[in-house]
Amino acid sequence: MPTEAAPGDVAVGFRLTGPGTPVRLLLSELWASRRLIAVLARKDFLVRYRRTRLGLVWVVAVPLVQAAVLAVVFSSVVPRGSTGLGSYTAFVLAGMVPWAYFASALPAASTAVTDSANLAQRIYFPRLVLPLVAVVTACYPLVATLVIFLLAVLALGLGLHPELLWVVPGGLLVVGLVTGLGLFLSAAQVYVRDLRFAVTAALTVLFYLTPVIYPIQRAPERAQDLIRVLPGAGPVELFHRSVGAADPLMWRSVLAGLVWTVVFAVAGLVLHCRRDRVLADLL
Amino acid sequence: MTTAISLQGVTKQYRKYADSAGSGALGRFRTRTSTSTLTALRDVDLTISRGESVGVIGRNGAGKSTLLQLLCGVTAPTTGVVEVRGRVAPLISVGVGFHPEMTGRENIHVNGTILGLTRREVEAKLDAIVAFAELESFIDTPVKFYSSGMFVRLGFAVAVEARPEVLLVDEVLAVGDFAFQLRCFERMNEIRRAGTTIVVVSHNMNAIRGFCERSIVLERGRVVHDGTSFDGIAKYFDLASRGQSDAVEDEDEAVEVESLTLHDETGRAVSHVQYGDSVAFRLTVRARRDIDRPFQWLGIDSGTGVAVYSDARFDVELPPLRRGERASFEARLVVRLPTGDYTAGSSLHELLESPRALLLASAPRLSFYVTGRDTVHGATDLGADFGVRIEEPVR
Repeated sequence: MPTEAAPGDVAVGFRLTGPGTPVRLLLSELWASRRLIAVLARKDFLVRYRRTRLGLVWVVAVPLVQAAVLAVVFSSVVPRGSTGLGSYTAFVLAGMVPWAYFASALPAASTAVTDSANLAQRIYFPRLVLPLVAVVTACYPLVATLVIFLLAVLALGLGLHPELLWVVPGGLLVVGLVTGLGLFLSAAQVYVRDLRFAVTAALTVLFYLTPVIYPIQRAPERAQDLIRVLPGAGPVELFHRSVGAADPLMWRSVLAGLVWTVVFAVAGLVLHCRRDRVLADLL
Repeated sequence: MTTAISLQGVTKQYRKYADSAGSGALGRFRTRTSTSTLTALRDVDLTISRGESVGVIGRNGAGKSTLLQLLCGVTAPTTGVVEVRGRVAPLISVGVGFHPEMTGRENIHVNGTILGLTRREVEAKLDAIVAFAELESFIDTPVKFYSSGMFVRLGFAVAVEARPEVLLVDEVLAVGDFAFQLRCFERMNEIRRAGTTIVVVSHNMNAIRGFCERSIVLERGRVVHDGTSFDGIAKYFDLASRGQSDAVEDEDEAVEVESLTLHDETGRAVSHVQYGDSVAFRLTVRARRDIDRPFQWLGIDSGTGVAVYSDARFDVELPPLRRGERASFEARLVVRLPTGDYTAGSSLHELLESPRALLLASAPRLSFYVTGRDTVHGATDLGADFGVRIEEPVR
C-alpha cells in the first residue's frame, strides 16, 4: 500500500496524572530540548538588533560606552592611588563585566515563564527551558563585554598575564548563579507576580552593597563578612582577582556564590518538577 | 487499532482568583478567601485510535480549549489520566512562536525546532513546507509583511510537514482562502491515512462534518455525545437552541412540551414544503402552572448549520395560560427558502419585566425539506425582481 513513512518515533508521548513531572523525566526532556534552548536563545538575541542600522555593532557599542563612562567617572571621583589596588579603572571594569550580566540576565530569567505565556500555553516543552533561554541569550553580550574588558586591560597597559584567567571561573560562576536563581524565580514568579519588581529593586540595592565598584576593604569592617556572602560577590571578586585586586577572603564569596547557586537550583528544580504541567494555567 | 489518545476520568479544575487588577496589598489580602474553583472538564473518558479524525464541538465555555490544552500537554488534569502516544503538533492559532521581524525561512527553523524537529529534518522538509505554503518568493521576507493568509499557510505547512503523530487543529483554517482550505483538508487526509491522529475543534460544522466521521460534543465540561458527527452536530444545535442559561434548563417544569410539528395551510403535518407555501410551526405544550405572558421562539437553521432565521415576538401579547391547560403555539410564515434541508427549533418563554424573559421549555429540533426555486442559491430567497431599463438608447 502506498503510504508515507510512519511519522517519527512512536516512543515519545506523555502520560499525565497530575501537576508534577518526575525529576528524571524532566531532566531527560530538558536534555532533549537542548537544541531548542540554543535556537530560541539565538533568535532572541538576534531579533533585538533587527531593523537597527548598526545591527550587531550595538552589542559592542553599548558596553563600550558604559565602560568608558565608568572609567572616566570613577577614576576622577576616586583619588588616584588611594586604593592601593593598581588601576582603579581596571578594577571597576572588571567588576562590571559579571555585574552587567547578573543585572540583565536575572530579571529576564525570572520573568521568562510569564513573559512567554503565548507560547507556553499552546505547546509543551519543559518550562525549565524558558529561564535557560534567558541565561543563554545574555551570554552573547557577556562574551562581548569580556572582549572589551580584555582590550581595556591592554589599553590601560596592564598587559596580558596569567591572572586574567580568573575571568573563566568568574564567568562560569555568574552564569551558574543566574541559572540557579532563575530556575527558582521563574516558577515562583508565576505565583507571586510581585517578584518581577522585587528582583529589580533588589538588584539596585545589591549593586551598591556588592563590592562591584569599590574594594570590599572600604566597607565597614563589621559588614564585610555579610557583604562577602551576597549572591553576586563571588563572581565579582573573581573578576577583581583577574586584575590583581583580590580580597584576601575571596574564597568565602566564591563559596557563598556556589551555595546560592546550588540551593536555588535545587529549589527551582523541585518547584519546576512539582508544577511543570500546571504553570501554564496561571499565565 | 492502536490507541493514540486516552483520557480516563479526567477532571480539570481551575482556581479563580477574585482579585482584580490594581488591587493593593490590603485588597489582595481581603479577597483571598473568595477564591473559587471552576470546573472546566468533568469526568471525561475518551479513547481515540491512531489515524482517526475526531471533531470536538460545543458552545463557548464548554471545555473545548481545556481539552486541547490537555492533549498538547501544556496542562495536567486535576484528577484522572491523560495519555498521548507520539509527538503532538498543535495547530492552535498557527504562528505561535513566529517572530514578525524574522524571515519565513528563519521562522520555519525556529518553529520546526519547537515542534521537535532536528536541524536536519527541518532542512529536509524546508522545500516541502515552502511549496505547500506557496511562499517561494516570500520565504526570505520578514513575516510581518505577510498577509494573514500567508501567515496561516506557513504555520499550517510547518505543523503538517512536521509529521506529528497527533495533530491538533483549532479554528484556524477559517483564515485561509477556500482553495487553500481544500488543500489543507486534502493534506490532512493524507497524513491521517499515514497514521496521524487528528483532533479538530471548530464552530464550523461544515468542516467538522466534512472531515471528521466521529465527533464529541462537550457541554459544561461533560461529554454529552460521542459518536457520528452527524448526530453530534444535531446535538450541538439542540444545545445551542436552548440558550445558555443553566438555571432554567427544563428544571422549572412550568410546561411540558408535547411536540413541535410543521403544518401546511390545510393543517396537515408535513416535512416537505415548497417555496411560497404558507406553513405553521406548531409547538404544543401543557402548562403546569399559570403563565401570564408566554411567547414562542422559533429558529431555522440550514442543514449545514447556518442560522437562517430566528425570532421571538415577545412584543405581541398572547393570552395567558392557566395551569393544566394544553395549548398550541403557532409561528406562521411563508416559506421563502432555497432548496435544501433545514432544521427548526422552538421554545416557550415567559416574559418577565421586558426585556427579561425566562426559558420554560424547548422542543427537540424538527427537520424538514424545502423545494425551492431552481434558480436560487444561498441562505435565503429574497425574491429579487429582475428588470432592465435602457439608459441611453441607440437609434
